[in-house]
Amino acid sequence: MRLIAQAQMDAFGELYDRYKRLVFSVAYAIVGDRAIAEEVTLDVFMRVWQRAQTYRPERAKVSTWLVAITRHQAIDIVRWRKSHPEADSLGWDEISLHERPAHHDPREQVELSQERERIHKALAQLPANQREALALAYFRGYSQVQIAEALQEPLGTIKTRIRTALQKLRQMLQED
Amino acid sequence: MPESTHVLESLPAYVLGCLDEAEDQLVSQHLAGCHLCRTELGSFQAVTDQLALAVPEAEPPAELKQRLMERVQGLQPVRPQPVRGRFSLAGMQRFLPLGGLASLLVILVLIVATVSLWQRVNQLEVLTAPQGMRAIALHSSDLTPDASGFVVISADGQNGVLIVDQMPTLDTESTYQLWLTRNGQSISGALFSVDETGYRGVRIVAPESLLLYSSIRITIEPVGGSPSPTGEQILGGSLFNS
Repeated sequence: MRLIAQAQMDAFGELYDRYKRLVFSVAYAIVGDRAIAEEVTLDVFMRVWQRAQTYRPERAKVSTWLVAITRHQAIDIVRWRKSHPEADSLGWDEISLHERPAHHDPREQVELSQERERIHKALAQLPANQREALALAYFRGYSQVQIAEALQEPLGTIKTRIRTALQKLRQMLQED
Repeated sequence: MPESTHVLESLPAYVLGCLDEAEDQLVSQHLAGCHLCRTELGSFQAVTDQLALAVPEAEPPAELKQRLMERVQGLQPVRPQPVRGRFSLAGMQRFLPLGGLASLLVILVLIVATVSLWQRVNQLEVLTAPQGMRAIALHSSDLTPDASGFVVISADGQNGVLIVDQMPTLDTESTYQLWLTRNGQSISGALFSVDETGYRGVRIVAPESLLLYSSIRITIEPVGGSPSPTGEQILGGSLFNS
């Protein structure tokens, strides 16, 4: 990131090659449209190019930083396009939790693959209504109030589902 | 701090960004001064980070890299960007349905107006709208030349908002603190952090009308804030031209 902040195009290209799938995958899962996911991906990396100097390695991993920017960008677009419900983003239940992702570089992807399997297994153990509430927060950027309205459930119930879901995930992921 | 005042139950929703604005601010302020809750927050943050890995892996088209490189050719990193868009409108145009063209025009007009407003604010330092609202541009210090910000104050001075951009993200032991100065005395008006791109909008809280204060500044202080400014000034400005 330091090299990118110094306008090193080669370093920027390497960063793109390393994280393009992660950024594009998250964007696509949220906006549900490949063409728009491409635009989100471009926006995310352009922001990285312009704002690399704001990255603080002691605060977050590069992947965490990129995913946070991607979610913000993609959710903004989903909110902007909410009058066009034909372009739905994904939810946990639309994702096969037992799917095996395609690997492009086996050596580099082994660790990532194990991580994916752990989180898939943990998500699969959550009750469907907790996954649903979590998906609306994560993929749609809904507030708890909006989730309660969308699911026609009391706000307190939604708060409990969100809290319990993340607590369970934390416990399961820590146990592994 | 007593257990009842911690925000542990709100942390899962906080890391997911699904609290309402008021509660989100309360949690942010509490986190600035509570090591226990920050530690707990870190463990939930680790979980939400991993959620990104649960999405199916999708491969972007090969030509996307070329498009990206072409776009960044003319852009310089670390260049201040006074007006911040949440996403690129230029790239969205081809996806707009015909019915969305009117909305796009409205958005473009707003962007042009905002750029114009920003330029005028930068030139004048204080811009007063016909209805009495004021927008004040803040000056960055040598420490953070790319940081920018402005304050908007309602006509009666009872409400004010600070918006900052390109501010450095701080370590977990530090926080930004906004100070309002009157007759040489400074009081705290807000504690805040910035997002991963250095952006934040925050409401200014003061015991009296903001029209009574002569200047504003933002410093870096230890978590929980300080009773008076101790850190370096990051942004600052006079609240009025006079």
